[in-house]
Amino acid sequence: MAKTSFSPLKILATAVLSALALAGCSNSTGGGSDQESENPASPEPQTGGTLIYASGDAEPDCLDPHYGGNYPQGLISTQYLETLFTKDEDDEIIPWLAESSEVSDDGLTHTITLTDGITFHDGTKLTAEAIKANIEHLQDPDTASSTGYLAVENVESVELVDELVAELHLSAPDNALEESLSMHWTAIQSPDALSREIPDNCEAPVGTGPFKVDSWERDQQINLVRNENYTLPVDSDRKYDQAYLDGITWRMIPEASTRYSALQSGEVDVIDNAQPDTIQSAEDADIGHLDAPRPGASNRIELNSSQAPFDDPLVREAFIRSVDVDGGLEALFFDTAPRSYSLLSSVEPMQYSDDSLFYQDVDEANALLDEAGWTARDEDGVRVKNGERLEISMPVSTNQSVPAEQSLFEQFQAQAAEVGFDMNIDLLDLSSWYAALGDHDYNLVSAPYTKVGPSVLGILYHSDSIEPAPSGYFANNAQVSDSELDELLDQAEQTTDNTERADLYEQAQQKVLENYYVLPLYDQQNHFLYASDVKGMGDTSAIAAPDYYNVWLDQ
Amino acid sequence: MQLLGWLGRRVGAAAILLWLVATAIFIAIRLIPGDPAEAIMGGPGSQASAEALEAAREQYHLNDPMLVQYGLYLVQLVTGDLGTSYTQHRPVVDVMAEALPATLRLTLVSLLVAWGIAFIMASIAARSNRIGQATGTVIEVVAAAVPHFWLGAMLIIIFSTWLGWLPAVDTGTTIGMILPAITLAIPLSGFLAQIMRDSLVTAMNSPFALAARARGASKGQVFLRHGFRHAALPALNLTGWAVATSMSGAVVVEEVFARPGLGRSLLGAVLSRDMPMVTGIALFSALIYMVVMLLVEAIEALINPAASRGEHQ
Amino acid sequence: MSRTAKVFGLVFVSLIVVAAFFPGVLAPNNPLAVDPAEAFQTPSLDHPFGTDESGRDVYTRVIHGTADSLTIGISATALGMGIAILLAVVAAFGPRWIDATVLRLLEVLYAIPALLLALLIIAFTGPGTTPAIIAVGLSTAPGYARLIRTQLWTLVNSEMFDAATVLGHSQWQKVRNHLIPNTLSTLLALITLGIGQAVIWASALSFLGLGTPPPAPEWGAMLAHGRTYLHFAWWMTVFPGVAIVIIAAGATLLGRSVTRSSA
Repeated sequence: MAKTSFSPLKILATAVLSALALAGCSNSTGGGSDQESENPASPEPQTGGTLIYASGDAEPDCLDPHYGGNYPQGLISTQYLETLFTKDEDDEIIPWLAESSEVSDDGLTHTITLTDGITFHDGTKLTAEAIKANIEHLQDPDTASSTGYLAVENVESVELVDELVAELHLSAPDNALEESLSMHWTAIQSPDALSREIPDNCEAPVGTGPFKVDSWERDQQINLVRNENYTLPVDSDRKYDQAYLDGITWRMIPEASTRYSALQSGEVDVIDNAQPDTIQSAEDADIGHLDAPRPGASNRIELNSSQAPFDDPLVREAFIRSVDVDGGLEALFFDTAPRSYSLLSSVEPMQYSDDSLFYQDVDEANALLDEAGWTARDEDGVRVKNGERLEISMPVSTNQSVPAEQSLFEQFQAQAAEVGFDMNIDLLDLSSWYAALGDHDYNLVSAPYTKVGPSVLGILYHSDSIEPAPSGYFANNAQVSDSELDELLDQAEQTTDNTERADLYEQAQQKVLENYYVLPLYDQQNHFLYASDVKGMGDTSAIAAPDYYNVWLDQ
Repeated sequence: MQLLGWLGRRVGAAAILLWLVATAIFIAIRLIPGDPAEAIMGGPGSQASAEALEAAREQYHLNDPMLVQYGLYLVQLVTGDLGTSYTQHRPVVDVMAEALPATLRLTLVSLLVAWGIAFIMASIAARSNRIGQATGTVIEVVAAAVPHFWLGAMLIIIFSTWLGWLPAVDTGTTIGMILPAITLAIPLSGFLAQIMRDSLVTAMNSPFALAARARGASKGQVFLRHGFRHAALPALNLTGWAVATSMSGAVVVEEVFARPGLGRSLLGAVLSRDMPMVTGIALFSALIYMVVMLLVEAIEALINPAASRGEHQ
Repeated sequence: MSRTAKVFGLVFVSLIVVAAFFPGVLAPNNPLAVDPAEAFQTPSLDHPFGTDESGRDVYTRVIHGTADSLTIGISATALGMGIAILLAVVAAFGPRWIDATVLRLLEVLYAIPALLLALLIIAFTGPGTTPAIIAVGLSTAPGYARLIRTQLWTLVNSEMFDAATVLGHSQWQKVRNHLIPNTLSTLLALITLGIGQAVIWASALSFLGLGTPPPAPEWGAMLAHGRTYLHFAWWMTVFPGVAIVIIAAGATLLGRSVTRSSA
């Protein structure tokens, strides 16, 4: 019942996300199961107070989500930037800053009409010029965008039709464009602000959101204050458009248990990246829980098929057979992470799942390795073939993998060792982790990727994605290079027929799963815990980032 | 005037030390294999853009001959320019200026707490019988052997999780500083108490203390008048070391209690191999150490001019 | 030093030696064996120190971790002491300008707090067990070197040494008869004390994620894991920490008794 999408229809509704929602209901799959109900006992929202948010993510290098484009940037920019489109509670794409949009028959021209009367924090008016400036900013190599860059890759040019209307001309049809433009990595910023130097724009991006960036004390906190001139782009029953909160203090508390202690003692109001064990104990304490699985890819381990030993499908399958995902999930995640057998998140309607492919069977794993020619073992029990040891390395980002996930990988390490893999885990900070991927210095990797819609499959498994984006990041970490798959993905992206799109994406998913390029684990975890005096939690953006517009403090 | 001359010599020596530290760092950065510009920007594979690398080359004058680079580097240091943090895109000096007060506050408070605890432990132990002495020794040694990160975790379990008295996170409030300061102080107090007690025992058994007792002074009076004075001096001598140790401990304590400060900035910089930040903080902590040492020597010189001046080699 | 204290010390040292060299005697199980079904067991007869998040036995890991933690502590101390002795000997016996240079160098290194110096070194080398050893070793060397140099300097300028020179003893004779016996006890005390401190510093590095990587049962790395589950699995944090305190405190007491008994 956890609500995972932001919707203008829900402006007054406050989702009741009590701790009761935990165990049973977090299993919800698909966007359709989202529910919300107005708490009849809830009093009138109060204005005032500053919400203290504690994030476990790495502090962003830049508050402009165009730059690079990772989830922490999406999470915070949801408060001060807005997107052209968003998702409603049925995971349908709806216009937001855009008032309407139209696609030409050949799929090559998208006409976007903006909502009138919206102003940026700097007082300038939102016009079609902003669409052009933002797309160009994303495509400018200097911006070093990766997520947003890929999202608008097909846009060739933006033509201004009148003050509020722009035409996006595409190089190829892209049925995912509106999904792409619902993500905060493509959020709309003031053209004046974008023309500043990159460090200045990083320091304080200027958008249209209900909050604005006041100051950034590095390593400490980011201070957001209410945008007193906020205009909600859609109709609502709210008495006034401005946010209830005076502001949000966005702190960085990297250590999970410290973060939870801070929530317990009332020093902070909301924490993210909640550890599974604390989610469970929050049930007993008077602490609310918001479970918002991210759209796009599931959490999975990718097996780098471009180099030995995982260039051999038998060895890939052997690794997958050797590890016990279910046992680890149960012990480490306390039922907060339902198992996934799919490439896509459970909130993606086009998700395809096959649980017959992924199970543990040590005998089978041994047989597969024997068959692949890894028959000998050295004194450490590691398999050897032609003098080469069966070594595999896995760089793990300590910023992206919560401790429970790191422990899960450690269990895999011990289990894979039993069938003769020498698995090496490197715990790295985010930039070293990117560097290891950039150097192709990995055999296994768990890389989260959040994107609205099934087109994430193209980003993750199309051979084009082995080429790095301007930031240097490439998303096809399994390094799948299969021309048939490429063709399926290309067709799926261009078709204007939704049934055909679903069918093509299903075939593509099947192909990746059956060739054991990937070991799916669970939905991308996105758990938030909040103190009992935080009311109105539950709205989330298209990328499942909580939105504090409707949140208020019961003081 | 004599004092001024002495001060001048000490300041000169400190300046030479700083120069040597800076030189060591300069050489170390160029000893890293590969492109020094890349090393400055976080090592190979940090995906620094060509422009960022060029900017680093520009800033560190890497296109110039080595000696010119060195000269310019020193000039920059003298003018207080420690370079730009590449992860934070701003001058290292600004980052440090922001982080320093919190660390200084924590260090000073825990130094005072450590002194207090050490004095109490030492005076109780110094006046007890053999068993008391032995117990005192064990307590001091154990206190000195407790790692900060473990002690911090234990205190969080007891005072935050179980009792709920004190916050586990230090947001910069007075109450938030209690646990971090105690965590930092206890191991230090163990060391200080060991040293203080040795000198207290010696002092209490010294001829003048015994003579004072013979003149009818109470044990307590003698203790305060002679014992403490003698115990304080060697311990005061350790202040420089204590500050340095606290700065080391602060790295861990700031991390455990999510307290902003110099230590946490340094840890972040090391993790992301942000060389300008790392070297800036290292240089700066060397500077702090030297200032403290100067102060200690000055105080000692004031208390006991003859002894302190002759001794320095 | 009383008899009971001596017996106690002997038992303590032998236990540690057994734990370090023959951990299987005290804990026969595999410290790396995972068993997710057994995760987070509270201390019991089966698992005296409980189990961790992967169902590994904490007692087994603490015992087997003795070797990992002590190896780092001893190697780092050996490195630091080696450099220190070299510098001290060069300074004490070399010409005056060398002495002055070495002293300055030591001041330079000493001016940077130990953990900061260790972090500085790791910033250059990257994290890992060997870098941690080097970092701790190098950062403790200046302190040792200063102490040893002072001791040597005092001895070299002592009457005893002068007398030996007058008597026409060779340099080596002087070193063998006077220097070594007179510095040995100080060195031994310093080494035992140093190992205790090195274990603490090295575990601090592992705790910060810069030392020994998982899944090795190194105590600092175990504490880093335990911290995540501090709220309900206190045993994961308590026991490895107690092990560090025992080693560090034990080493200090041992070092003190060495000084006392030789004094």
